[in-house]
Amino acid sequence: MSPVRASRRSADAYRYSSRDWLGKASAGLVCGVFLALGAGGLLARFALGGVGRFSLEHQFTMWLVSPLLLAILCACFMFRSGLRAWAWLGAANLLVWGLLLAVP
Amino acid sequence: MRSDVIKMYKDVHTWTGIVCGLALFIAFYAGALTMFKAPLERWASAPSVFGELSPLENVPVLVEQVLARYPEAGQGYQIVVQPSAQYPARMSWELPREDADEHHPPQLMHADLDAEGELVVARAAHSPLPQLVDELHEQVGLLLPHEVAMPIMGMIALLYGLALVSGCVVLLPTLVQDLFALRIGHNLKRMWLDVHNLLGVFSLPFHLVMAFTAVIFAFHDQIYAAQEQLAIRGSDKPQSAAAPATPAAPAVGAATGVVSGASLAPAALVARLAEQQPDFIPRRFVYRESPQRGPALVVFGDNPRYAMRSPEGGVAGLDPVSGAIEMTDYMPGMQDAWGATITSFFSLHFGTYGGAPIRWAYFFLGLAGAALFYTGNLLWLESRRTRQRARSAGAVTQRRSVQVMGALTVGVSLGCIAGLSLTIAAAKLLPALVADLELWHAGLYYAVFVGVIAWSFWRGVARAAVELLAFAAAATATIPLVSLLSLWLPGVGWNHADLSVLVDVVALAGSLVLALLARRTARRVRRAPADSLWFIAARAEGDAGDSLVTNA
Repeated sequence: MSPVRASRRSADAYRYSSRDWLGKASAGLVCGVFLALGAGGLLARFALGGVGRFSLEHQFTMWLVSPLLLAILCACFMFRSGLRAWAWLGAANLLVWGLLLAVP
Repeated sequence: MRSDVIKMYKDVHTWTGIVCGLALFIAFYAGALTMFKAPLERWASAPSVFGELSPLENVPVLVEQVLARYPEAGQGYQIVVQPSAQYPARMSWELPREDADEHHPPQLMHADLDAEGELVVARAAHSPLPQLVDELHEQVGLLLPHEVAMPIMGMIALLYGLALVSGCVVLLPTLVQDLFALRIGHNLKRMWLDVHNLLGVFSLPFHLVMAFTAVIFAFHDQIYAAQEQLAIRGSDKPQSAAAPATPAAPAVGAATGVVSGASLAPAALVARLAEQQPDFIPRRFVYRESPQRGPALVVFGDNPRYAMRSPEGGVAGLDPVSGAIEMTDYMPGMQDAWGATITSFFSLHFGTYGGAPIRWAYFFLGLAGAALFYTGNLLWLESRRTRQRARSAGAVTQRRSVQVMGALTVGVSLGCIAGLSLTIAAAKLLPALVADLELWHAGLYYAVFVGVIAWSFWRGVARAAVELLAFAAAATATIPLVSLLSLWLPGVGWNHADLSVLVDVVALAGSLVLALLARRTARRVRRAPADSLWFIAARAEGDAGDSLVTNA
C-alpha cells in the first residue's frame, strides 16, 4: 500500500460525530458573532465607502449579521474538532478584523 | 452524503429541537393569532363613546378646541383618517409617561366633535388583550421583563435556525422517497415522521424567514451598539445618504409652526397625497413639535400594491406646509433598493403584503409551525420510549426523561391554547368586573397555562392528553359563547356588527377541531399497546400515585 493511499484512507476513516459539540458550537457562536460583525464592517467600509448612523445601508449591514451567524453556526459542526473550529474561525476573525482595524 | 455526517446533524436536530420546540410552539400559536390583531382588538374592545368621525374639514376647529383645554397635546398629536379600535376618534395625543417605550405604549387620549359640534374627550379604552397576545408571541410565552425575555428568545431563534438546517440535512438523502409519502399505518413513528417532514419541507421558506428575522428582532440593539463600537468605526464622515435617516422622525421644514396652524389642513393634505401617490391610503397623520427638530409631520398608511414595513403600514415624512412627500425610506412604492430590501425583511415576518390571502396563509402556516414542533416532540418521545421486549413478562417502565418530556409537551401546548382562549373570552366580561385589565388578562392566561401543565404531570401523558384536549376545546368554545351571551343578556359584553365576528367563527372552528382531536386521541389511547406512551394501565387505574406511563 502506497503512503499516499494510506493517508487518504486514514482521512476517510475520520467519522464525524456530535461528540465535540460544545467546542464546535461555542466556536461557531462566539467567532461567528464577531465574524458576522466584521463582515458587515468590511462591507460598510470598503464596498459602501462608509455608512451613516442608522442609514438604510447601516441597517442592511446589521441585518446581515443574522444570516451569516446562522450559516456559521450550521456549518461549524463540519470541523473535525472543537479546537480546529476555534483555530479556523479565529484565524478568519483575525483576517477580517485585521483588515478592518489596520486599514485606516 | 456520508452517513456519519447525517448522524451528526440528526443529533444536532434532535437536541436543538427538543430544547426550543415548546417555546416555539407558543410563539407560533400566539403569532398565528396576531395575524388578525385588528379584528381581535375590535372584538375585545367595548364600543367607544365616539360615533362616526367628524368631517375632515372640521379638524382645525377640533385641534384649536383641544389645544385650548389640553395644552400638553401641543407636543404632538395624531389626526386619524381611518378609525380603528385603537384610534376611534378624529384626534389623539399621548399622556406623558416615563416608562413608555415601543412595547409599553403610552396612555392615549382621544377627542372628536359630536354632531352638535361639541368637544368629546375620552381616555383610550381599547382592550389590552391583543397586546398580551403579541407579547406572548414575541417573548415565546415567558413572563419576564422585555429586556430579559428578548435575548432568551434570540437564542431560541438561533437554535431554531440550526434545527431547520440540520433537519434538512437529515432528510436530504431520502427526500424524494419520503416527501410525498404519508404512511398511515401500524408504524406510528413512521407516520409522525412523514407528517413532520411534510410540514417542515413545505413551509421551510416561511420558517427560514422567521428564524432569520427573529434573531434580528431579539438582538438589533446589541448589534447596532457593537457595530458602532467596533465595525463601522471611522465611517462617520459625512454621507449624502445619511442625513435624513432617523426612522419615523424626519426633520422636515423649518420652524413653520405645525401646531400653531400655519401648515396645510388635513383635508388638503389628503388631497395632496392623492396627487403624489394615488394608491396610498392614509390611516393617520402624526404631528410632532420637538424643540431640537422643529415641527414634523409623518403619515402612516397602506399601499396594497407594495410590501409594508409593519402592520401599521408604510410611513412617509411630509412637508407640513406644502404637503410634499419628503422622506421616503419607509414609504411603500417610493423606496430605493436598500429601503425596499429592509422592508422586505419586516414584511416577510409580519405578512404585511398581498392583503387578506397572505394573512390567512400566515395564520395557517403559523398553526402548521406549532404542529411541526408538536410532532417533533412526539418523535423524540417515540424514539426514546422503552419498548416491551418480546419475552419479558415484567413491567415496562418508561424512562424519566420520556415521562417528563411527554407531560411537558402535552401540558405546554394545550396550556397555551386553553389559556389564550379563556383570556380572549374574558375580554368581554372583565371590564365590568375589574379595573386592571392588563393584569387580569395576563394572570388568567398564566393561571390556566400553569394549571394545565400541573394537570398533565399529575394525570400522566395519556389521560391528560384526552382530558386537556377536551378542556382546550371547551375553553375555545367560550369565545363564541361569550358573544352569544352578550347578544341575549342585557348588560353583558357587546357585539360589533362588522368583520370582528370572524373571531367567533374561527374560535368555533378551532374548538371543533380540538374536540375531534380529543375523540381521536381517546380512541388511540384505548388501542395503545402496553409499551406505548399512550397506554393507560387498566389495573393501575385509580392509583393516583403511579408513575405517568406504566404497564401493569
